[in-house]
Amino acid sequence: MSVFIQLIVDGLAMGLVYVLLASGFNLIIGISRILFIAYGEFYMLGAWIIWGLMIPLKIPFFFALLVATLGPAVLGAIVYQLIFRYIQFKEQQLLTNIVAAMGLMLLMSQATLFIVGTESRGIPSVIRGIIDVGGVRISYEKVVLIALTLAVLIGLHVFLQKSKIGRSMRAVSFNPDVAALQGVNANLVYLGTVAVGCALAGFAGGLMAPVFAVSPKMGGVTLLIILVVMLGGVGSMPGAILSGLILGMTLSFGQYFLESGVAQIIFFVVIAVILFIRPGGLFGQAEQIPLQ
Amino acid sequence: MRAGKFICIIIVIVILMLLPLVVRNPYYIHLLIMVGINAVLAMTFILMLRTGLISLGIAAFWGIGAYTSALLSENAGLPVWLCFPSAAIITGIVAIIVGAFLVKQGGFGFIIQTLAFGFIIVLIFGTFEVFGGHVGIVDIPRPEPILIPYVGSIEFSFISKTPYYYLMLFLVLLMTLTLTAFYTAWAGSAWRAIGLSAYLAESLGINLFRYRLLAFVIASTVAGLMGSFYAHYYVSLVPASFGPFKTIYVHVYAILGGINSPIMGPIIGSLIMTFVPEFLRVTEGVEPIFTGILIILLILFLPSGLLGLTRLWQGRGKPHEDAAQPSP
Repeated sequence: MSVFIQLIVDGLAMGLVYVLLASGFNLIIGISRILFIAYGEFYMLGAWIIWGLMIPLKIPFFFALLVATLGPAVLGAIVYQLIFRYIQFKEQQLLTNIVAAMGLMLLMSQATLFIVGTESRGIPSVIRGIIDVGGVRISYEKVVLIALTLAVLIGLHVFLQKSKIGRSMRAVSFNPDVAALQGVNANLVYLGTVAVGCALAGFAGGLMAPVFAVSPKMGGVTLLIILVVMLGGVGSMPGAILSGLILGMTLSFGQYFLESGVAQIIFFVVIAVILFIRPGGLFGQAEQIPLQ
Repeated sequence: MRAGKFICIIIVIVILMLLPLVVRNPYYIHLLIMVGINAVLAMTFILMLRTGLISLGIAAFWGIGAYTSALLSENAGLPVWLCFPSAAIITGIVAIIVGAFLVKQGGFGFIIQTLAFGFIIVLIFGTFEVFGGHVGIVDIPRPEPILIPYVGSIEFSFISKTPYYYLMLFLVLLMTLTLTAFYTAWAGSAWRAIGLSAYLAESLGINLFRYRLLAFVIASTVAGLMGSFYAHYYVSLVPASFGPFKTIYVHVYAILGGINSPIMGPIIGSLIMTFVPEFLRVTEGVEPIFTGILIILLILFLPSGLLGLTRLWQGRGKPHEDAAQPSP
């Protein structure tokens, strides 16, 4: 029984990080309308910033986490301003967006491989100690991770629903032309959305870095994120939360009971079946997918 | 076809056939063989793109062909010459089954699901023991020697790559002819109509699903055949080489050459992408970084590719005849 609870906590921790990543991706695809395949590389960047600041430079974790959040955000804004601004609404928009994002992914992942080599590095745990609740042993680290992630998710929700910027973001996602008529600078909103999305990716990467090893191949998580977003429905927050948690549980239970490769294959197949029955995902409509 | 163009093609083919007499370095022959394989893969990308399907799983079908062929020849002991067609047919059957699900989604769903399919295939190859796991398959048999009376036999060995070169040339020509035949036939017109406007094509009574599936299956079968050739040429397979990075490269070959030229574009694109880094002596670790930058620059400044540039220059003012655009 205690193993069961242990697995649930593990799955919750992993799943919430996927929820964080999926929310960022959801923002970018739902508002800026870019299929941002390079997204995982920003996650990886966040993790490597943590490693670079903590191990050689000995900077405390929470300050490093701040840098790991802001760094990818700035880079995302630069990338948007230099590349995606020009191709976002061009003809053949889908193909050009995907190919440009893939070029960016290739560039970032290979540059990282070139700089840091192929090995993955570990970061010593920041918060030590274990809570023992009736035989269930949970590390403080996981508790902090879950708490921080939940706080950021709630903050994001409040930001989108209540703040002026958040409202203009939703307005642009609803209809860019009408939003522009109301005096919303659509271009700025797109830029800001990409930056916020990348910041979430960097933050997630930074949180995961001390828990798991940092590797130059972490960018491959993009596919899982895209599938989580598709499963939940593009643009749907509850969908992202639900499907992110499903993924976390699948991975945590799958790794315990099956080989990890088999668990992933089962997850992919289940998603494919669900998407075949409901092309828009669990909480979305197929017609709402903005990239057509 | 105009006579001039026909003569040009014949001359190019003759030059390509005489090339091994001049190029003595086996490494360059190897590069040329890879150019052939990559060019055909890029052709399949354009074939699907013309019907509005953006596939991110080309390398997966290439891998299915390669693994099927390797397993057939190594475990089932089938002669290699029989493996080529059987691997292509098996890949085609897989493509029909998978395609029936994927193509029905169309548009965005198709892109995501082909991407997912690409990852699943690499995972399956890497996980199950039948496919050799992460180590992959080694010691795949080479094609049996061809016996020619009074001349001797043509051996396929790793040292002399020339027989492989001719086999590659034959396969590329065969695939080019096959694809051209499809483009000129009724199916080609239907594809072009779908590419110009899916809704309009559908209103003219073209069965969208059926013609897209046809394009998908043909593209996958061709990719499977090239995979089978790759398996018996390279004689060892690792799952990682069939991942999405390969597909990205395939896209680059097609886009660099120009997606409006379904045959010549991929050939020119893969020639340039293979030989230019070679002559510039770019180290292997840095090459993908340059490729990444190149993709972004291409998309920003030259979205119609190199051949699009010449076309623009030749026919200024003339309306674009076959600017096949995927439907909005």
